[in-house]
Amino acid sequence: MDITTDILVIGAGPAGSLAARYAASNDVDVLLIDKKSEIGSPKRCAEGVSLSGLEKVGIVTDKRWVAREVPGVRLVSPDQTSVWLNTDTIELPELGYILERKVFDKHMAMDAARAGAKIMIRTRATSLKRDGDKVIVTAEQLGKEFTITAKIVIAADGPESRVARWAGLDCNTPFNEMESCAQFEMAGLNMENNNCIQIYFGSVAPGGYAWIFPKGEDIANVGLGVLKNRAEKTAYEYLLDFVAQCPETKNAQPVELNIGGDPVGGLIKERAGDNILVVGDAGGFVNPITGGGINNALESGMYAGQVAAKAIKENNYSADYLKEYVKITDEQYGKTFKNYIKAKDYLLSIEDDEEFNKLAHAFNEADIDEVNPKNLIKILLKVSPKALLKLGKLF
Amino acid sequence: MIVKDYCLYCGECAGICPSNAIDVQELTVVINDEKCVKCGLCVQACPLNALELE
Repeated sequence: MDITTDILVIGAGPAGSLAARYAASNDVDVLLIDKKSEIGSPKRCAEGVSLSGLEKVGIVTDKRWVAREVPGVRLVSPDQTSVWLNTDTIELPELGYILERKVFDKHMAMDAARAGAKIMIRTRATSLKRDGDKVIVTAEQLGKEFTITAKIVIAADGPESRVARWAGLDCNTPFNEMESCAQFEMAGLNMENNNCIQIYFGSVAPGGYAWIFPKGEDIANVGLGVLKNRAEKTAYEYLLDFVAQCPETKNAQPVELNIGGDPVGGLIKERAGDNILVVGDAGGFVNPITGGGINNALESGMYAGQVAAKAIKENNYSADYLKEYVKITDEQYGKTFKNYIKAKDYLLSIEDDEEFNKLAHAFNEADIDEVNPKNLIKILLKVSPKALLKLGKLF
Repeated sequence: MIVKDYCLYCGECAGICPSNAIDVQELTVVINDEKCVKCGLCVQACPLNALELE
């Protein structure tokens, strides 16, 4: 049952499905495969997404995949000082909806199918080799081996990104740039405001943060990410400690455990090669400061699908042609991600809980009516003039 | 490399493996002993402590 197609998309997460949808809607043959038996499960994600980001990639909201709308964020310092922000005063990334990823991911794949893409699930790519101007991927589905010959492969296989590595692209995530994450979905929380996502800083999650993302009145994703070069124990052990000590979660019970790595080092350089494009987590499309990736993944998928379809029509699958995708994603993300990395470096330079507390106090004491760069600088100046140097030309 | 039974196949180990020696399938982890250089980064990275150097 060997298969021939124009475009093969490997991985049916948000990036892969959107790539398949945009490519297929341009009248080229698209095959989307996923190694799992259920698209979208298990989730490896806190499920936050911004509404404007969904609109940008042409996704119309369907209530079936929205768990909750969250217009605000509460930042919590180690001494439990809260800084409240909401979308009226500041553009906040990944804020808007908490998704039900298991439903959302399936819907994205369904939309790809409606656009004309073929889908095979429980189908795993096992190797990749170039043959002339094409690529031959070997795949396995329920014990049967076969080959898929494609003109272009879109690698959407997540942070482990084996496909791009097979193609010779350098996309390994350095150990120090992979957040190690663990999360419970919990019920029975006692949230002060269940319309806000919450971010907890400090030694609860060294090199990262802990989060509470509400999915219902008393339901939330409660998780954290840590950098393992700073951590003293596993992400799961940090999570157990956080849940036990946080006033909002100490009486809650888990109904699901999710774990996984989140690559926060920024875009990989080699996002395109001969016959290949790399999207989503595999391409480093993760906000380096928040670790959020759904919006960026979707957008990278859209551009990759469009560029790939155009390449098929023009019969040119060379790295030189496909680098248009690199150019577009650089324009969209290059500078922003570099700034986020600077801001992250600043956050990582905060060494003790006391400095986080001071920042939170200064934030609340400052009489500001709007969160903007000018006001942020005023606050940072007050707490630590050195911090401003670290941030450099961020603003 | 020993993979414990309680592994949840999240793939973080494969993501950071500098030798590309780890293949995480839906419910299996395959480690290529020829490629593995026993650097132990995967052991440190695992969110559940599910890997152990032999």
